[in-house]
Amino acid sequence: MAGAAHPEAMAPRKKGPTRTAPPMMPSSWWSAPRIRIYLLFGATGLVYLLAGFLILRLAWALGSNPMAWQSAFDGLSHPLYVIFHLILLVSVLGVGIRAFVRMMPKMQPRGGPLPVLPPAVVRGAIVGLWAGITLFMVLVLSGAIF
Amino acid sequence: MSDEKKTIKLEITRFDPDIDEVPKTEEYEVPTEPGWKVLDAVNYVKDNLDPSLSHRWSCRMAVCGSCGMMVNGEPKLTCKTSLDEYGDAIKVEPLANFPVVRDLVVEIDGFMDKFKSVKPWIIRAKERAEDMENLNERGTYSQSPDELSAFKQFSMCINCLLCYSACPVVANEPEFIGPAAIALGHRYNTDSRDEGAAERNDVFRGEGTVFSCSFANECSEVCPKNVDPASAVNQAKLGAVVDWAKGLILPRGGA
Repeated sequence: MAGAAHPEAMAPRKKGPTRTAPPMMPSSWWSAPRIRIYLLFGATGLVYLLAGFLILRLAWALGSNPMAWQSAFDGLSHPLYVIFHLILLVSVLGVGIRAFVRMMPKMQPRGGPLPVLPPAVVRGAIVGLWAGITLFMVLVLSGAIF
Repeated sequence: MSDEKKTIKLEITRFDPDIDEVPKTEEYEVPTEPGWKVLDAVNYVKDNLDPSLSHRWSCRMAVCGSCGMMVNGEPKLTCKTSLDEYGDAIKVEPLANFPVVRDLVVEIDGFMDKFKSVKPWIIRAKERAEDMENLNERGTYSQSPDELSAFKQFSMCINCLLCYSACPVVANEPEFIGPAAIALGHRYNTDSRDEGAAERNDVFRGEGTVFSCSFANECSEVCPKNVDPASAVNQAKLGAVVDWAKGLILPRGGA
C-alpha cells in the first residue's frame, strides 16, 4: 500500500468493538497510467488559473490607456507566452476530449422518449459538433466571414 | 491458461488487532496447480500453511462479491483473477480505502451505512396489492424491455466494494457516498415501478454526493461485472442539473 487514506474513509457511523488498522490508499493510486491521465486532467486547473490572471492583466491594460494595452499586447509575442499558450491549447484539447468523448456518452440517460444511441455515435456527433464550431470560430476570427 | 505447475511467492498483509500496532507483510511459498485463481492460492495458505489467516470468500464464481482484495496494488475479485496474469511473486492486501479488521478482512459497516442511505429498494406511494379503489387493476407490475434496459446494467452490482477501493474521492472525502451506492440508488430512480426519486435525491444531491465525483472513472475500470458506476454517477449529475434548470424556468419547478 502507499500513503494513508483519510483516517475516516469508509468508517462506520457507529464504531465496532474491534480496533481496526487505518485505511490505506492503493499503491497504484498515482502510478497507474490511467490515474496519471486523471491527475494531468486535474492539473490543467492550474493552467486555467494562470490564463485567468493573464486575461485580467490584459483587461487591466485595456482599461488603463492605449499604450499600456499595446505594450501588454506586444508582450504576448515573447517565447514564454507562446509556450504558455501552447500548453493552454493542449490542456483545452485534453480536457475537451476527456469531457466530451469519454464522459458525455456515459451521461446519456437511458429510458424516456429518446432512443439510446451507441457510444460511438454519440462520440461522433460530439466530435463533429466540436469540429464544426471550431471551424466556424476560425473563419470568424480570421475574417474569412463576417 | 498455463498447464505448468509452479511455486509462487505470495506476500500477504497480516494484522491482528490484539497484537499488531500496524499491518505487516508475511511471505509464503505456494505450490500452484494449472488454472488456479488468486483465491485458490490464498486458500492454500489458510488450509496448509497458516490457519490463522483471515479472509472472506464464498461462491468462487464472481457472484457473491466477498473475495475482493488488492492484488499487486489493484482491487480484484480474487476468485476471478487468474494466477497466470502475474509472475512468480504476488502481493495480496486488504481492500484499500477501508479500515482493516484483521488480515485481509475489511470493515464494511461504513459501506452499509452509505448503501442504506440511498434507499436501494422500490418505493411506492401505494402498493398495488393494497389499492382497494382500483381493485380490478391489481396485478403484477409490467415492464417493457426498454424500461428494463434503463437500469438493468446498474442492477448487476454485487457490492464487491472494488469501486470504493479504487476511487480517489472515497480515499479523501469520508462523506462521499461512493460509486456502488450511487449506482444502486440511480438504478431504483430509473426503475419505471419506483416512485421514490424525490426521497433519494435528497441524499443524492446533498453534501458528499454525486457532485463530489471528479470522474476518475476508476470505479468503472475495476468493476468485475461491467456495471459502469461512473455512468450512473454522471447520469445522476445530469438529472440533478436538469431538475435544477426546470426549477428556475418552469412554474412550480415543473412538478
